[in-house]
Amino acid sequence: MHSTFARLIANYREYLMQVESLSQPTFASHMRALYSLSRKDWKQYWRYPLNAVSSVFQPLIWIAPIYFMGLAFSVNGKAIGFSQYSGTTDFMSFILLGTVLESFINAVFWGMGYALKNDMDSGVMESNWLTPIPRLLILVGHSVTNLVVTLITAMGMLLFGGLIFGFNASGDVLKAFIPIIPMMIGLYGFGFAFAAVVMLMREANTLVDVSSFLVQIFSGANFPVNALPRFLLPVALILPLTYGLDAVRSQLIGTTTILPFAGEIVLLVVFMVVMLWIGISAFRSLERRVRLLGTLGQH
Amino acid sequence: MRSEMSVQSLAAPGFFSDLQAFWAVVRREWTIFVRYPSWIIALFIWPVIFPMGYILTARALSGVNGTGLATFKQTTGLNEYVGYIAVGTMVWMWQNIVLWSVGGSLRNEQMRGTLESNWLSPTWRFSYLLGSSVPQFISMLMLMAIATLEYIFLFNVKFEGSLWLSLLVVLVAIPSVYGLGFAFASLVITMKESNAFVFLVRGIVMVFCGITYPIAMLPDWMQSVSKWLPQTYIIHGMRTAALTNEGISGIAFDLQMLMVFGIIWLIIGYLLFNRMERRARKTGAIGQY
Repeated sequence: MHSTFARLIANYREYLMQVESLSQPTFASHMRALYSLSRKDWKQYWRYPLNAVSSVFQPLIWIAPIYFMGLAFSVNGKAIGFSQYSGTTDFMSFILLGTVLESFINAVFWGMGYALKNDMDSGVMESNWLTPIPRLLILVGHSVTNLVVTLITAMGMLLFGGLIFGFNASGDVLKAFIPIIPMMIGLYGFGFAFAAVVMLMREANTLVDVSSFLVQIFSGANFPVNALPRFLLPVALILPLTYGLDAVRSQLIGTTTILPFAGEIVLLVVFMVVMLWIGISAFRSLERRVRLLGTLGQH
Repeated sequence: MRSEMSVQSLAAPGFFSDLQAFWAVVRREWTIFVRYPSWIIALFIWPVIFPMGYILTARALSGVNGTGLATFKQTTGLNEYVGYIAVGTMVWMWQNIVLWSVGGSLRNEQMRGTLESNWLSPTWRFSYLLGSSVPQFISMLMLMAIATLEYIFLFNVKFEGSLWLSLLVVLVAIPSVYGLGFAFASLVITMKESNAFVFLVRGIVMVFCGITYPIAMLPDWMQSVSKWLPQTYIIHGMRTAALTNEGISGIAFDLQMLMVFGIIWLIIGYLLFNRMERRARKTGAIGQY
């Protein structure tokens, strides 16, 4: 009885809200909005140049202990034990490539949710939400600068990482992009769902810190997943990112793959379609809930 | 004018009032600490997942038939790489948490807007830093105890050394770890940007102090740097005390070095605090952020 009444009230409110908008959104206006969002994020990012320096060197600092630890397990710089799992003795190229790919994954995976949290904290979320732009476009707009910045910092990481630790990639770079494309698009699906959860929970840090650390471990950013203990292996195998990282590495540094390359691509394409569908549906449903609750401007 | 300024304060500060103020800071920090449930995650989850990345990489480096492990044993003299990494990362986590909590305590108050009013109270100002260290150290002891149990039961680590000698290393390491935290707190409140400084200091510890590898793996110039960092001796001392049967003779040099570094860092921390305090009163900028 109570829920029927609440639904009636909600429908009535929705009816009242269906006023005709004076705005005339077009494809060009959407592109302008996308450009404005990206430009704003770009200016904001470079306003703090120390952050940019930090984002290049932080990941290198994190993998430095692995480099020296790897030397303790190697003879003449060759990690024979490592090659039994991965097919390459060059453990540092394996790890550096994993770290670079992981930074792209993080940019899409968590970047959109973080950007919304920043909008909430700085008090512009509600006003942005009232503009006649598709809400998913706002999320995509937030990720554009993030991806460009990640591309720049990833190049810096490869350059400095290559100079410090050594990086040897002799494979087919173009072929390595084949798994990256479905993986990244699929990640957008996850990013949409995560952004909606952040809108609802209004807290991102703990959730992101712990989950990104676990995803990084189990997708095999720093080691071949077949080195995991038997009981942990299924966790890695259900993560589509595992196959993405595996496929890219096989093309660039010639590691052995978990599944045949073509099979991994098929899996990634399926992941892309499913994740986009789940992500968009979850975002629409949670965003509607947040609007009904009226908590959009709270943080 | 002068006579108008020199009004007599109604406060009667003494040893007991300072002790009361110190206790008030301890209580406040403890209340804030337990108020947010994320501390449970910090205590139970981080000690497992932080070293896990390094441990699993070491497992991969060991190889299917233990080829790499044999090389590791030759280099370090230890077969137990899981315990080796767990102890190193634990010391790093300790220093990292001290930098964020003790090092950021004054900065947090500055951000909350309570620093200036606290500064005006007739108390010993260094108690703000000392007071914030106590709950932090208690939580750190809890974290170490929980982490040790997790390493034994989840990672099957065999701590063959002595619990009491390990605790002795922790005790002797306190002045170095917290002295750095005090110095850091004063620096951050002047420079206003804590994140970049935490990243820098913890990065130095991570790269130079051998959290996952023996110092002998570093190039000569890096080894020279690591000798000047107390965390190198804490990690070495803790590993020797917890994982080997070498006894007190195995950690004697580490303890001596930690005592020397402890005195140096406490003096640096106290001097920097006094300098910052004088500067803050002169410029009147303590409430600004």
